[in-house]
Amino acid sequence: MKKLHILVFIISSWFGVQCYAQQSTDTIKRQELYGIRIGIDVSKPIITFFDTQNKGIEMVSDIRILNNYYLAAEIGNVTKTTNEDYINFTTKGSYIKVGFNYNAYKNWIGMRNEIYVGLRYGISFFSQTLNNYTPNSNGTYFNTPQINPNTKFSGLTAQWYAFVFGMKVETFKNLYLGTSVSFNKMISTKEPENFKNLYVPGFNRVFLNNSGVSFNYTLSYLIPIIKKKK
Amino acid sequence: MKKQLVIFVILIITFLGCEKDDICIDAITPNLIIRFYNDTLHTELKKVALDSVWAINKNVLSAYKGVITDSIAIPLNLSENSTRYIIENNSVKDTLEFSYTRSDVFVSRSCGYKTIFDNLQISNNTNNWIKSITINNPTISDEKAAHISIYH
Repeated sequence: MKKLHILVFIISSWFGVQCYAQQSTDTIKRQELYGIRIGIDVSKPIITFFDTQNKGIEMVSDIRILNNYYLAAEIGNVTKTTNEDYINFTTKGSYIKVGFNYNAYKNWIGMRNEIYVGLRYGISFFSQTLNNYTPNSNGTYFNTPQINPNTKFSGLTAQWYAFVFGMKVETFKNLYLGTSVSFNKMISTKEPENFKNLYVPGFNRVFLNNSGVSFNYTLSYLIPIIKKKK
Repeated sequence: MKKQLVIFVILIITFLGCEKDDICIDAITPNLIIRFYNDTLHTELKKVALDSVWAINKNVLSAYKGVITDSIAIPLNLSENSTRYIIENNSVKDTLEFSYTRSDVFVSRSCGYKTIFDNLQISNNTNNWIKSITINNPTISDEKAAHISIYH
């Protein structure tokens, strides 16, 4: 027991010294890091775990090009089954979004956090499979049969632009936790015949006015390339 | 920067002009609309005193039980290419068999698909109180006008 106490004391005093040391060096070094940041969306595997009808993966990356400007891209793949009142369909495909972020957050010296706004162009290549549907009729006088056509519409595409709002926080050295919300607006889609793209990978649910919202929660690592003195 | 943020927020709000597409408000599978005319003067509507209307092996349609009307809208069977109805007017029964082809048309997320009927024909009918029948529109895609006129 005594040994443990001593151990705890040593460890905690070491932490204290380290903190002190870090503080003193931080004020001396005033450097800006430029590099490439690579990460993944951690929310998508969690969603897949709870909802097996919704499989997704997203990789994110950005490169700092100017003091507050970052080139950014997201790339992902989705397999999602949507169940509505009268239809059930599966969307399968990949997407890429490219654009830039502007960091609007003024960091204290030595900190590297971001609150940013951004613009994206997104493009998605996907297929829709109409699993089943029930013709919608007034009342229930006749039993309406469910029809299982399993029709696959392949070679579909969609293009959109998006406004992004998000933040990134450096938790450990060069390791960032981030979250962002993206407001999407469709530019053009290749629609299936006698059906509609109600869900588009990367865009998410397509609302009636051809807009959509998507989120991500990312864990990313910064690979430093250039250290610039400020 | 604050100014830029305000502009950004305004942009988002204009973007999210939320439109509800969870509730089906569009036209779905249409009913067959029949109007009743006077047999001696074909342009004059003539009311029928309906005792009951039913499809074979089905219950009586509750909307047309003991009703005096000049038009009815009845559903067609979506599992088969024909539906047989019995219309009882003043205790006299007449049987009508409608045949058609079906196709399903996508409407919207909340409404799903609707069925429209083509090549509508009267494949069989009795003439107890009905004198003659004409088909005005062999395609049943909406409920805007009568598809069939019955003269009696």
